[in-house]
Amino acid sequence: MGVQAKPIPRSKPRERWLSTTDRLAPVLMMAPAAIFTVLMIGFPFVYAGYLSLHKITLGSPDPAVFIGLDNFAKAMGDPIFWTAVRVNLALYAVGLILELVLGTYIGILLGQPLRGIAIARVLAIFPAVIPSVAVGLVFAQMFDPAQGLFNFVLRALGQRPQAWLASPTTVLQSILIVEVWQWTPFIALIIMGAMQTLPTEPYEAARIDGASGLQILRYLTLPMLRPAIVVAAMLRTVDLMRIFDSIYIMTQGGPINSSMSLNVYAFTQGFLFSQFGYSSAIMLVLLALTVIASATLGAARRRSGV
Amino acid sequence: MKNLIVIVAVILALLIAACATPTPTPVPPTKAPAPTQAPAPTAAPAQPTKAPEPTKAAEPAKPTEAPKPAAFDWKQFSGQTLTLYLPQHPWTNAIQPLFPDFEKQTGIKLEVQTFAEAQLRDKVLIALQAKSSEFDFWMSLKSREGLKYYRAGYYEILDKYLSDPKLTPPEYNVKDFAAGPFGGEKFDNKLTGIPIIIEGPVIFYRKDLFDAAKISFPKKIEDIETAAAACMKANPGITGVTLRGDPNAIAYTFGPFLRAFGVNYRDANGKSQLSSPNGLKAVEYYAKLASQYGPPGVVTYSFAQSSALFGGGNACMEIESSNELSTIVDPKSSKVVGKVGVMPYPPGPGGDVPTVLQWGVSINANSKKKEAAWLFAVWATSQEMQAKLHLKGIASPRLSAWDTPEWKAQLAGDPLRAEWAAAVKHVSEKGSGEVGPPAIEQPTVRKIMGDAIDAVILGQKSAADAMKAADAEIDKLAH
Repeated sequence: MGVQAKPIPRSKPRERWLSTTDRLAPVLMMAPAAIFTVLMIGFPFVYAGYLSLHKITLGSPDPAVFIGLDNFAKAMGDPIFWTAVRVNLALYAVGLILELVLGTYIGILLGQPLRGIAIARVLAIFPAVIPSVAVGLVFAQMFDPAQGLFNFVLRALGQRPQAWLASPTTVLQSILIVEVWQWTPFIALIIMGAMQTLPTEPYEAARIDGASGLQILRYLTLPMLRPAIVVAAMLRTVDLMRIFDSIYIMTQGGPINSSMSLNVYAFTQGFLFSQFGYSSAIMLVLLALTVIASATLGAARRRSGV
Repeated sequence: MKNLIVIVAVILALLIAACATPTPTPVPPTKAPAPTQAPAPTAAPAQPTKAPEPTKAAEPAKPTEAPKPAAFDWKQFSGQTLTLYLPQHPWTNAIQPLFPDFEKQTGIKLEVQTFAEAQLRDKVLIALQAKSSEFDFWMSLKSREGLKYYRAGYYEILDKYLSDPKLTPPEYNVKDFAAGPFGGEKFDNKLTGIPIIIEGPVIFYRKDLFDAAKISFPKKIEDIETAAAACMKANPGITGVTLRGDPNAIAYTFGPFLRAFGVNYRDANGKSQLSSPNGLKAVEYYAKLASQYGPPGVVTYSFAQSSALFGGGNACMEIESSNELSTIVDPKSSKVVGKVGVMPYPPGPGGDVPTVLQWGVSINANSKKKEAAWLFAVWATSQEMQAKLHLKGIASPRLSAWDTPEWKAQLAGDPLRAEWAAAVKHVSEKGSGEVGPPAIEQPTVRKIMGDAIDAVILGQKSAADAMKAADAEIDKLAH
């Protein structure tokens, strides 16, 4: 009101209207995205939380019964749940290390201005762009102990054929082969991109100072690539923790649950056994594990100042 | 300035429009129900719900009233559209090319969506749970989900449609269905579906290898092992017998072994019998066949792997569904065309009770076009249609289909088909409908049992330990 009283000659209402619009515009423009995000991420999360506190059997005439934390207690006493946790952590730890080491190495290689490298770059990307379902189907056939390619090659080389996906002792290694084959190129791609943004001056200086190739890698390239490596690790952390498609296609968690990851177990409980409450509880545990793993990496990232 | 305001206004308008896209979705629904809902629920239920009463009373007199059946009105639901959810399955492949005939005959339009079997199951269950009317008609495997879906009220109960002469033509002849598969579609004596195909596990074997090594045809269940051993000895590197090891699928080929040793899944008190003395014998025998005479990696095997192995000429015998015949002798992929024979499971010390299962077609209890869907069921399961499909290799649950001159002529010129027909007939006459241990949650009990048998196949546990634990778990589940 005080503003109105001021004797400024120009069209005040319009200006005021404009300034209100200026203030409102960003909010309005953000709103669709914000609402969409809240609905798409928030709703499933809240609903999963609701489901996890109830006993809900899909296809049963019984209504949902509130059972508090019983689903989580059930998980704690469920040996297959703990197998799934172990499978998840094992695939995550071994898979991430292998993919990072190989991916960084290949990425640095692909970043070199060598002749014919453009073709190698294109070829290297292939595994990452093939849908996981197709990869799983093809590998499942190649792993078949009786009719598959791998044992055919082993036999041709005079080696003992392996059971691959069909034995509890070799199934995780076989799944890791697929994961590493498919996702190492993804990391290589990120590293290759980072390589191309590195400044050339430090390399020139290092060479003048007489640094060896290994020293350059150890003290120049790798430290400068660290931000890219951490980003790649974080992306793969989320994907490896929620690993589903390759396992579901190739083994469905078998033999005898020895390749059951948390995501596959939750799917089995939900869609095969119709236990949606228990399934949601398992998913929330998986979510917590993923958040912890990402947060640990994030903390490491901040600490190292990258 | 003015320009800026205009631009901001336009952007805002666009954003609001974009933001609102989730809400306009009601638009398609309002569009969709408009044509369908209008003729269907308003016109259709009004008539039939009224109609059954007088007609039911008049029903006994029906056979004498000759002119009435002749006037059966196939066009009564003309203009409606039915949505069918079907699996990728031999029945679907055989009948789908004939759908235009139905559309022409009835004026009902068919919208067909086919899915892989597991995806269909997920999609249908979610829709049924949501009481959705997004589909009207689907193919359901009663031995697996029947009891559960029936208790949940997902199936439209079909008895009243069957007894309504306005909806079922007199030539439908429901008595023609074999008792086993037709009974398999009933729960508490209420009809939830109409059977369309029967199948059962049978034994496919390599006639040429059996003849060359002078292996005699297994006459008792124990002879399967002898035959496998002899065949493997004569053909080094070959697999003796391929069968299911995939824990989710194993029940189908394992069940007949259990009953051959004289045990049912549950005894009269409902207790699981896997760890009973004869149950253990059956498990040990099955595990021995799988681990010593089966393919490496047998614990991942289901029909696809077994048929690929056998069709590729790498196994002496395959224990699989009778439906696999067409895959096994598919000239495009098979190396064993002309070398295959089929036999039923031989009897064991405890009897001869194989497994029979039927697929049935059912109507969504929440469909808004149930009468039209029923008309489709009648068309698809009529005597004429099933006889036609039977000739295409869809083993019919109707007895008359096995008796037509065309079918007999087909068998006369084809010894393999004649053997197959005899095996399927054996299954349909003697088979039990218990694929897995009776339970509301079929997939759960089958997985428990499958994992336990796999532990024995892999030598991780003794049969006694594994089955005792499995029985305890199965007994916890309602049935």
